[in-house]
Amino acid sequence: MIPQFKYYRPKSINELKSILGDMQDNSRILAGGTDIVPGFIQQSSRFTSITNLIDINCIADLKAIKNVDGQVLIGSAITFAEIMKNELIQTHFPLLTKAASTVGSIQIRNRATVVGNFVNNAPCADSVPPLLVYDASIKIISPNGERNIPLNEFLLNPYETQLKKNECVTEIIIPAPKENFIGDFYKLGRRSAVSISRISLAFLMHEENKFIKEFKIASGAITPIGKRFYEIENAFVGKEISSETFMEIASTLGEKVLETTGLRWSTDYKLPVVQQMLYQLLERNVGGISG
Amino acid sequence: MIINFKINGKETLINLTKNKRLIDLLRDDLKLTGTKEGCSIGECGACTVIVNGKAVNSCLVLAQQVDECDVITVEGLAEGNKLSELQQNFLKYGAIQCGFCTPGMLMSAYALFLENPTPSREEIETAIEGNLCRCTGYKPIIQAITSTVSGE
Amino acid sequence: MDNSFNIVGKAVIRQDALEKVTGRAKFADDINEPGQLYGVMVRVPTVHATIDEIDYSELLRVKPDSIIVDSTDIKGSKKIGAIRQDQPIFSFDKIVTPGDVIAMLVGESEDELKSLSKKVKIKFTELPALTDPTRSLEPNAPKIHPQYESNLIVHYPLRKGDVEKGFKESDFIHEETYTTQLVEHAYIEPETVLAIPLEGNKGIKIIGSIQNPFTARKVVASVLNWPLTKVRIVQAELGGSFGGKDDTMNILSARAAVAALKIGKPIKIHYSREESILESYKRHPYILKYKVGCMKNGKIIAMKIDILADGGAYSSMSPFVTWRSVVQATGPYDIENVWTDVRAVYTNNPYTGAMRGFGSPQPIFAQESIMDEIAIKLNLTPDEFRRINGFKAGSFTASGQKLENHDVNLLDVLDTAIKETNFTSKWKEYKSKTSFNGYQLDKISDTNAEQLILKKKDYINPNKLLWKGIGLSISYRGCSLGAEGIDAAEAYLSVQNDGSAYLLSGLAENGQGMRTTHSIIAAEVLGISPDKIYYLETDTGLIPDSGPTVASRSTLMGGGAVKAASDILRNRFEDFLRLEWKLKSQSEFIFKDGFVSVNGNPQQKISFSDLCSLAYKNGICLAAIGWYKSPEVNWDEHTGQGSAYFTYVYGCQVAEVTVNIGTGQVYIDKITAVHNPGKVINLLGAEGQVYGGVTQGAGYGLWEQVTTDGGKIRELNFDQYLIPTAKDLKEIKPVFVEGKDVYGAWGGKSLGEPTLELTSAAIANAIRNATGKRFYNLPINLEELLLRRKLFPKDLKRGSS
Repeated sequence: MIPQFKYYRPKSINELKSILGDMQDNSRILAGGTDIVPGFIQQSSRFTSITNLIDINCIADLKAIKNVDGQVLIGSAITFAEIMKNELIQTHFPLLTKAASTVGSIQIRNRATVVGNFVNNAPCADSVPPLLVYDASIKIISPNGERNIPLNEFLLNPYETQLKKNECVTEIIIPAPKENFIGDFYKLGRRSAVSISRISLAFLMHEENKFIKEFKIASGAITPIGKRFYEIENAFVGKEISSETFMEIASTLGEKVLETTGLRWSTDYKLPVVQQMLYQLLERNVGGISG
Repeated sequence: MIINFKINGKETLINLTKNKRLIDLLRDDLKLTGTKEGCSIGECGACTVIVNGKAVNSCLVLAQQVDECDVITVEGLAEGNKLSELQQNFLKYGAIQCGFCTPGMLMSAYALFLENPTPSREEIETAIEGNLCRCTGYKPIIQAITSTVSGE
Repeated sequence: MDNSFNIVGKAVIRQDALEKVTGRAKFADDINEPGQLYGVMVRVPTVHATIDEIDYSELLRVKPDSIIVDSTDIKGSKKIGAIRQDQPIFSFDKIVTPGDVIAMLVGESEDELKSLSKKVKIKFTELPALTDPTRSLEPNAPKIHPQYESNLIVHYPLRKGDVEKGFKESDFIHEETYTTQLVEHAYIEPETVLAIPLEGNKGIKIIGSIQNPFTARKVVASVLNWPLTKVRIVQAELGGSFGGKDDTMNILSARAAVAALKIGKPIKIHYSREESILESYKRHPYILKYKVGCMKNGKIIAMKIDILADGGAYSSMSPFVTWRSVVQATGPYDIENVWTDVRAVYTNNPYTGAMRGFGSPQPIFAQESIMDEIAIKLNLTPDEFRRINGFKAGSFTASGQKLENHDVNLLDVLDTAIKETNFTSKWKEYKSKTSFNGYQLDKISDTNAEQLILKKKDYINPNKLLWKGIGLSISYRGCSLGAEGIDAAEAYLSVQNDGSAYLLSGLAENGQGMRTTHSIIAAEVLGISPDKIYYLETDTGLIPDSGPTVASRSTLMGGGAVKAASDILRNRFEDFLRLEWKLKSQSEFIFKDGFVSVNGNPQQKISFSDLCSLAYKNGICLAAIGWYKSPEVNWDEHTGQGSAYFTYVYGCQVAEVTVNIGTGQVYIDKITAVHNPGKVINLLGAEGQVYGGVTQGAGYGLWEQVTTDGGKIRELNFDQYLIPTAKDLKEIKPVFVEGKDVYGAWGGKSLGEPTLELTSAAIANAIRNATGKRFYNLPINLEELLLRRKLFPKDLKRGSS
């Protein structure tokens, strides 16, 4: 059942701001609609009480991917399909391209937006691990102004973020890419296509003379929310690139995930597998073993 | 709200008296029942239509969102009584059994060709990964699309 | 007719393809009737309870003119069922499973009705839920249907020879237990029905996504307490069924009919995916215990089988499904001593009934897994072992039936598959040298959670992450209903005086392509193009009851009837021409390419259309009814002995897989499906059956499972219930080894179900070949492969993992 909400379609950010200013409770931003529309039909309590729906797809500024002083700005109405096809992102942020290509089906990727993917902070949001390792932040506007906030601070708890009512995320900001990083995004689903992530993770590593110079790693569906593991990153900087090191990294990730997540129904499966697959990922990408 | 959009090439004005989804607009208001509803959550692809050249699940789109858009449904594929090559190949290669997923499959394949006239087999499989079929095992469908590329 | 066919065996385009590619085909939900109202169900969120009171007062306070339909509106049978009448149209005494419906609200707006349905207050007393079928027969188990003595739905024994003596004489004994899961048909079209009350005394017309129009008619007539003739069922274009649009649709038809007659308006019911999965029946989960006695030379001499089937809350088709299991449980092996017990029991789980395969995929998974284990024990390849025991012409089945009067070409089929896939050398090459252990974890709790952290030895060499395997499975399958019941079908063929023809059989088009197959048969006999044949709409008012469209019987039985009708007409034409052309009584004719000519004198010919016109003008009847009745079969309920089916088909599938031992993922590289369907009538349709059946079988083997938590289904839509996508099976190769048979149309028999029943077993054997490990429980999903157990969430939300 589709509620009889009032539908707004601002054409500019200023118009959006003024609509946000007038809003009472029960307003929602509509971008892709791939969560909200079926949520109505399934009478999900998250959506049935919506009385105002603000469609941001007609705001040209939010429908753009820009390169500003080396930073890449991704508008909040940008879809996964648009991310996949963007050459700037393909070149500099390939993990994001890869993650985007694993989201849903073509029909979903043609509608669903990257911001919409994480703005609800569902644990299986595939865009989160790459954005976290790329140190992304987001721009939020409200009638009174705007603020920038790192993504890892924005995400609070499952289905909970720092977004306040009368606010709207307008951009993802990814800082200029560093050269020499090797990395990968990994997703495991139950079947070969259109799968919800059972496990997702992303890493970036900068290797110099067979030693780890810089290292970033973030989880997706294995922790309650997407999360960077700064302790692991710091602990392994300076270590020699070797299979032993990779195993240690993987097992340390296992320990940290267990610490963060505790035992859940799926832990018996997911925890061994995430360690194994991180190891495989490191060997394949950094260790130079093909396969 | 009045929406103005092109449906299968024809300019159409609709006065929306209540909020609804695109699939309901197509099936109930425009009587274009070729578009099917199988799951209502964007998983089966039976309701796939093309909006501004891109395949979308019409169960995930609000009717308001196609204002000023170009929408194509399965009813818009044939020119009069002449089937498109893609449709003919669906016949020829046995890509149809019960036929319930067929309109969505055709639209996904059609959208693929709009973007990429010479897709690889992998690109073809990706194009229809969001369209579930329980009858054909997909192979004849992939064959029909492949043959449309090669012009066999 | 000899084997030089004009059309039969070639690839023929479906008759209904044009409307299906243009979006014009009318499925049930595409049909609307002016003034129709909608029906919305009222359910109770419980698993097992007695209903104390249904209180509509709050509903009537909110909406005083609410239209309510419940069991008090039923004048005829309040409960229905094929064998046992245990399933209510509307529940009134008990709730036995969460899909149960108490009442239906009727009105213009489904949205409004859905919110109003929450105003119906049902007072009920919860009863202990019985969800474990192994507890069903315990003396203190809750009784699901108190009118029956126990929760036993049916028990089929089969006794052949002396099984204990056989075990004593065996060189070794092999015992294993297997389990299979609950699965959903997952037709893409959810259920829809439209009931239209007709004017005056004409009764009611029901249009719907109905698999078996005659069964639906019988149910509706008995619920209304009306004669059959006043209930007309018309089948809409059916969006997939696979055995699944039978009982559920009969009940929905009855609910719609009762409501339509109560208020005198057309009523439409259409289900969401969630309601469909919640209420519709599923495939039976089985627990299968096998004990096999074998000689060192590879000969199996004794087999004892104990099977328990979870029938869920209603008996439905359980008595038929499990009967096929008892007939076929040994697999296609000639065994002197067999002792089989198959039982189906009630639980509070979703009820189970007919699904493509119908009691065969479960035993085949078990029996073919065991065959490979014994072969490995004997140091034989899987095919060598099967050649020793597999059926040959003159072999005896477990029920003591001698296999004769048809091509018993099981071993040809097997050999073809072996050659086609280069099986033996691959099997030996892949055969795991080192056995794979997965993550052998104890039950993890807070005290031993450190077991989850991998040690160095647990990390897999990246070059050894992916392991290949190949496996096969074989089966035999009794065609059509067998001793389940009366087995006959009718077809009506009416040639017009321009040479075109109407055709209709009493079986139904469920998407499988039956209309095309039947048209080919008539066209072949009459020597015309199948395009000349117009297949009429399936309508119970136009054709006699020909039984249900099940058991892969539409080509065999329906095809036999079409051929009979066509032969009658052809003979009539031939007699007419002999008179007209003053020919000898023994002169023969050739019907080909739209012409009829005298055999041996091709100059003497007439076009088929001219012949029709001429015959019509001479007062010849151009319509015929063909009837095809199966030969006699028999069955002894006490010993399980008899000739269960009048003929059989044989199949062999080979699966080639790659196993990711780090994640437990199984990738299907190729399935080669070799089948003997008798005679292939439409190559395009036959190949389509293979592609579809194999894909469903693979889903059954690896991904699909409906699970319940306290009796309630977790997977209610396609985000959680995962059927294969276009990317999940790389290659499927159909191969047909045709066999000669006297039955049906030129020996065209069965294919739809054999294609599905073999796949999961072949995959399981391929996984065994790759990993060196046997898996006993379907589906062999990620957790099963790595942990040997299934993990289930406490709470599933859309989008959760």
